[in-house]
Formats: sequence, structure tokens, C-alpha cells
Amino acid sequence: MSTHAPVALVTGGAGGIGRAIVARLAESGHRVVVADLDREAVHDTATAVPGAVGVVLDVTDPASRTAAIRTCADLGGPQVLVNCAGVLRDARVAKLDPADFRRLQEVNLLGPLALTRLAAREMAHRGGGAVVNLASRAWLGTFGSTAYSTAKGGLVGATRSLAIELGPQGITVNAVAPGFVETAMTDGLPPEIRRRTLDAIPVGRAGRPDDVADAVAYLAGASYVTGQVLPVCGGRSVADPYAA
Amino acid sequence: MTGMLDDRRDLVAGVLGDGALVPTVREALDGVSPGLTRAFCVVPRVPGPASLGDLDDVRLDREVGDALVDALEQVQRAVGALTAGGRLVLVLPHAPLMGLADGAAASAVTNGVLSMARTLAIELARDGITVNVLAVDPAAPSVRALAVALDALLSEGGADVTGQEISLTAGTDLGRLRP
Repeated sequence: MSTHAPVALVTGGAGGIGRAIVARLAESGHRVVVADLDREAVHDTATAVPGAVGVVLDVTDPASRTAAIRTCADLGGPQVLVNCAGVLRDARVAKLDPADFRRLQEVNLLGPLALTRLAAREMAHRGGGAVVNLASRAWLGTFGSTAYSTAKGGLVGATRSLAIELGPQGITVNAVAPGFVETAMTDGLPPEIRRRTLDAIPVGRAGRPDDVADAVAYLAGASYVTGQVLPVCGGRSVADPYAA
Repeated sequence: MTGMLDDRRDLVAGVLGDGALVPTVREALDGVSPGLTRAFCVVPRVPGPASLGDLDDVRLDREVGDALVDALEQVQRAVGALTAGGRLVLVLPHAPLMGLADGAAASAVTNGVLSMARTLAIELARDGITVNVLAVDPAAPSVRALAVALDALLSEGGADVTGQEISLTAGTDLGRLRP
């Protein structure tokens, strides 16, 4: 790994999708900083990926965010930020506790925006960069997902405005909106829900973390693409998501 | 939080929220016929312009986090008072919905509420409650257009319209991708 390799910070980098993004960006020549809450998983991922560096990150903690950016700065400064960290715990609107709603906004929306502020400053000093936000197909609306869809919709909105604001500084800002992707989080779905979900996906299969990683890698290097949301959902966003 | 109105407008729709568009919504409701069912307009508070560099942790927490929690509580209050046939309309400023420089915080709030409305439309359809979004230009709001749109959504025929987003801005967003 060259010491001049562009540095990419991937939050949630030790999770199912995050780990695939880390591997994919490393393959395309990035020096990847793997940032996640789980210390052991961070270590495992960073050890497995050539040139990767691990850092424990709580995206809701200002000191933790600053430390992650400092790690990137020590390696030459972040040129790519992938906001992949997120949580999903939700309820129908009538049963949703505002405190739980707020916590989910902190992890999925406020933390990524705060980290983007720190990273964009570094990127601007170095002539530019790319921010890729992991939104979700839930931004289009999903039953029982008030808090999560709000956070992901908020992230899409911020992506659009930040693309306009940061474009003159050479920084692109885009979002990827995954649909149903096979991860540990989706392994526990009841069989009937799983069948109905898969039946509603035109390409006839669940997504894989690599599908999302490919989209992220593309947007990380696409300097003429900004402010866009790329759904990676097997076509479910244009089909009837409740057809099954 | 603005409470339900206590004059004839309350027969048309209760107004919840403390967004800058509340007076515009109230004025528009003067031109709307009382419907057969209960309706609420939620008008969330949206932060003003701020560059990303100025959005420190305190401002993000207050201007985005607090605004979204307040919007949720306003929506919960409205939904709790609605029964089958009820109507919920969220009124948002148009520019941050579409995106603008120094608009990250405002766009996060407006688009967060937009996605919340999309999910609510799906959730509440089984209860016979419609949820729609109207986008207005706060700098030059067309009260007449807002009244016409509200009249349609709150009318009997509005029962078949849910999960929709209508920009009442005389086509100022034509040629742009919508969120």
C-alpha cells in the first residue's frame, strides 16, 4: 500500500455492508480507516484488509468523531468519507417513544452530518474529496419504520444541499439507498416475511453487501456525479414493493 | 406548539406545529370548505440557512434533532385524534426540500419529515387515514393555491389521495430531480 494512497474513512466499517465497502475501497487503491463501535470487529476487519487501519468510533460522540478524523489526518487526510454506521430499531408511529426516535436520529443522521463537517474541512484543505452517505430504500417510506425512514430521508435531503454547497470546493456528496441486503441483521427475519420481501424484488434475489460496495466505490470516484441517490435494491423501488 | 384553532377554521382542520408557514396555512384554511371528517395540518419548524462549517454539534442537536422530535410529537398528537376518514397534511417549505447551499440543516428536517409522511401514508392507509405533503415557498406563498390543494385533500374525494407530494410553487422546480 503506497503512503500516497487516498485515505477513505468508513464508519460502520466492521459490519456486514461496511466490511464489504472497506474491502472494495482497499481493492481500488484506498488506504481505508475502519471505524466502528465494536473494537474486536474493527481489529478483525483491519487485520484482514491490506493497509487498513482500525479506529473505534461512536458516531454520536464528538470526541470519538474528532479522534477518527485525526487518525485520517495522520495518514494524509480523508479523501473519501463513507457514512455507513447506523441502527434500526423502530415502531409504528403511535407506539414510537420520542426518546427512541431521537436516539435513532443521533446515530443515523446527526452523527453523520457532524462527521461530514469535520471531514469536509480536511477535504477542502486538500483540494476536494467525496462523501457517500448510506441512506436506505426506507427513504421512500416503509411500514413500521417512522424513525428510520425519517433519519434516512433527512440524510438524503442533506446530501442534496451539501452537494450544492460543497461542489465548488471539489467535494462530491452522494447517497446509496440499499434495499433488502443479506446481513446478520436480516438473518433473523421470519420465513414468511422473508419470502414476501424476496418476491417483491424484480431481480429475484436479496442484495449482497458487495452490491452496495460496488455502488459506493463508484460514487467515491465519480467526480462529475453529485447530489444523487442511487437505489441498490434489485428494482424494488420502481416495482410494487408490496406486490407479494 | 400551536394548538388547535378555536374558530371556524377548527371545523376545517386543526393546525399543529410552529413553522413559519403557520399563518399562511391559517389564511388558506379560510378558503376551505368544512369537510365531513377530522383533519389536521402539521407545519413543522425548519431551521434557517447555515453553512456546514457553522453547524456545530449544539446547532445540529437543537435545529435538526429538536425539530424532528417536535415534528414527531405533533404528528403523534394529530394521529391520536384522527379516526377512519381522517386527513393529515404536512406543509413544508419548498426550497430546502429540493436542496440549496447552506441548507443542510433545513433539508435534513424537511426531507426527514417528507420520508416520515411517506411511511405514515403506508402505515395509516389500513386505518383509512390519508397523509399528504404540500410544499410552499415561504417567501412568496400562494395562499390561493394552498387553499385549493387543501380543499381537494380534505374533500370527500380526497379519501383516495394519499402519500402524495405537491409543490405549490408555480413550477419553479421544473427540470430538477425531486427527492
